Amino acid sequence: MRKLSLAAALLAGSAITTPAFADGHLRIVEEPLELTIQMNHARYPIYEEDWPVEQAAREMTGIHLLNDTVGANMRTDENTGRTEALNLMLASGTIPDIVGSSRIRDFVNQYGPEGAFLPLNDLIAEHAPNIAAYYAQRPDIEAAVKAADGQMYYVPYLPDGKYGRAYWIRTDWLDALGLEMPQTVEEYEAVLRAFKTQDPNGNGEADEVPFFARQWPELIRLVTLWDGRAHGSDTYHDFLVEDGKISHGYIGAGYRDGISNLARWYADGLIDAEIFTRGSSARDFLLSENLGGSTHDWFASTGGYNSLSSEIEGFAFEAMAPPASVSGKRIEEHRRILVKPDGWAIGYTNEHVVETIKYFDFWFTEEGRRLANFGVEGNHYEMVDGEPIFTEEFLARGPVNRSLYQDGAQLQARGYFQDYNYEIQWTNEFALAGIELYEQGDYLIPDFLGVAFTADEQKVYDRTWGSIRDYMLERQQGWILGNGDVMADWDAYLAQLDDMGMQDLLAVMQSAYDRQYGTN
Amino acid sequence: MSDRNSDVGGIPVEEVVVEASEALRDRRQTRTPDKKWVTVLDHFRREWQIYAMLLPTIIWFLVFLYKPMYGLQIAFKDYSIFRGVAGSPWIGWEHFQTLFSNDQFIRAVRNTITISFYNLIFGFPAPIILALMFNEVLHASYKRTAQTIVYLPHFISSVIIAGIVITAFSPTAGIINTFISWLGYDPVYFLTQPQWFRPIFVGTGIWQEAGFGSIVFLAAIAGVNPSLYESAVVDGANRWQMMWKITIPSILPTILIMLIIRIGNVMEVSFELVILLYQPSTYETADVVNTWVYRQGLQSGQYDLAAAAGLFNAVVAFVLVMTANTLSRRFSRTSLW
Repeated sequence: MRKLSLAAALLAGSAITTPAFADGHLRIVEEPLELTIQMNHARYPIYEEDWPVEQAAREMTGIHLLNDTVGANMRTDENTGRTEALNLMLASGTIPDIVGSSRIRDFVNQYGPEGAFLPLNDLIAEHAPNIAAYYAQRPDIEAAVKAADGQMYYVPYLPDGKYGRAYWIRTDWLDALGLEMPQTVEEYEAVLRAFKTQDPNGNGEADEVPFFARQWPELIRLVTLWDGRAHGSDTYHDFLVEDGKISHGYIGAGYRDGISNLARWYADGLIDAEIFTRGSSARDFLLSENLGGSTHDWFASTGGYNSLSSEIEGFAFEAMAPPASVSGKRIEEHRRILVKPDGWAIGYTNEHVVETIKYFDFWFTEEGRRLANFGVEGNHYEMVDGEPIFTEEFLARGPVNRSLYQDGAQLQARGYFQDYNYEIQWTNEFALAGIELYEQGDYLIPDFLGVAFTADEQKVYDRTWGSIRDYMLERQQGWILGNGDVMADWDAYLAQLDDMGMQDLLAVMQSAYDRQYGTN
Repeated sequence: MSDRNSDVGGIPVEEVVVEASEALRDRRQTRTPDKKWVTVLDHFRREWQIYAMLLPTIIWFLVFLYKPMYGLQIAFKDYSIFRGVAGSPWIGWEHFQTLFSNDQFIRAVRNTITISFYNLIFGFPAPIILALMFNEVLHASYKRTAQTIVYLPHFISSVIIAGIVITAFSPTAGIINTFISWLGYDPVYFLTQPQWFRPIFVGTGIWQEAGFGSIVFLAAIAGVNPSLYESAVVDGANRWQMMWKITIPSILPTILIMLIIRIGNVMEVSFELVILLYQPSTYETADVVNTWVYRQGLQSGQYDLAAAAGLFNAVVAFVLVMTANTLSRRFSRTSLW
């Protein structure tokens, strides 16, 4: 109760200072209504009632969310799509009114049909005009969100902007060695070889690391240079879809050729010798020590390393277009996925279902979306010519995305539609130049948006995929490190995968895919 | 054998004393012609402080070891967290069939046993040898310093240990490879080579635990009756002979008990260190049952399958402990029970 009166006091206080909210057209309930929420994300393990964005939302809608987090987890696993905190919550027997989390899709699509979460199709159709309008425009995303029974069990976080990772190269090293920007895989190899042998950092030692990566699966992505495929979505080692057919990158001939060549690169020292164990500090260490030559990493954060030019004479690390593959194709395999498995759902014990779905819908209104993306007007941004522009004081607070989620904006455990303009405002020039380059080249390819299984399909997947994945990765690393030759081992490898149930697995993936996205 | 035990070993002597005092009490109690349960109650009333001291351990066992046994049934169920343990349907041995038809699980079992076997051969004698060596050190402050240094790694978390190992074996900056290149050989990327995983893992385990493990044996050595050494000196024995003829036979019961406990833990390779050190390229030799369970069971939410693997582990460990204990009782008359 004390919390309620505190919230009410805040409410009253801020209502006076921001009369823009006072017209009340976003109000869902007359009297303040309290709903409980568990919110999990690696960056904000629990829901904070005093986030400024939440206070503004409370004032606009009248819905007061109360933190009811059962289990908080600091880490979520990128590859398995499960979070311990959600399991813990379910095991405790009580599900809050609202459950928001990263990696929530598989979870609600499994336990929703069992009754733990409410189906949302009818609720959205009747009470959530803004969400419904979004889905009317994007039936592919609506399909991706649904469970095997055709129901939606969560409202997703929808990322905006297309570009994620790119190839990066030390252009000052190119200049120092009198080399051109590589345009093909052969030229790329020649450049990396020159980085290794011609001492571009000028310290007299061949200590340069031509290609490195923070996440070693980024190395595997280079198989696209030999017309192979690695990761079908922004989840590593994921399946891929081509012309409505499900397949996996690691069984393709291009992958085989690519791995064979990467093994050669590795043996020749063109790839970081410690690629598999160096870990997340690789980029930071190798760039600031003036050792790293090229990588495949995110636009914004990697472009930021150009500030090293104040310490390293001439340092320039710029995005380069994907080199043309052996058949002349230029592909950037990574992109921001259209719909994240993150978002929020309604627990089965919720007694205010209509208010809750209206509250979810609020975040898809113009005001709600702006609030979710940019924070609070006057606090984080000002409206300039009808556009929200971050204030100087706010931009000076530090890394912008961190400052935003510290205040409750850009929370990916909340269902909302991101606005890429929030990011462009503070993206560095090197990243923007890179995005421009990729925009012109149109290198992106479609993503696999994932499937929802029936219970029987799930069993096949559970029985086979873990072992198959382990085996694929084991052979993959082995081949690159020189334990065995991919060309000689290939047939036995494919036979072993079939033996482990690869065909059954592809069959259930395909049937789930056809059901979800339609056969066409 | 048993004669010598009761003569020299510190603990058996104590047992004799306790037995004697119990017998004395029993004799006193036979005078009162009450029924047996009254005697038991009487006993509790008299010795309640001792039982009160036992209580936390009993509660710990009940809460953390016996209560979870209820959940073991999910090994035979199609478990859903939402439906709960009781509400999930029975499916019989399906999870065990899944386990044993999986080559990687079989390989993990084999790896677990192999790594444990190496641990037993190289890791078990290490603290004993260390304790015997410390026992021979005469310079007191040197002994204390050396002991502190070898105890230290035990108190470092596995995450840090793994970090140290990864750095030490790094092909570009690691001390091991620096030394190897210094000798004129090519650096080796140890942590991605399957054949190097076990030596590194077992060696790390010894480095981390041998010092701390030696405490038990040092305590046992401290309990050896000094008069034995005195008479040995009179008989003209040298230190080497005293170690072989007096120290080792005297601490043999301790060694055997520790060995039985160790065998019971054969299936429990310290998997957090494996997780921190292994790579897909070293799964071949590094993947143990617990890491397999972690990847297949917990990470992908298959708690029922993980429980089945855990149950299998426990059964194997139980059989091993029973066997070791029986063998030990038969051949040396030393046993846990």
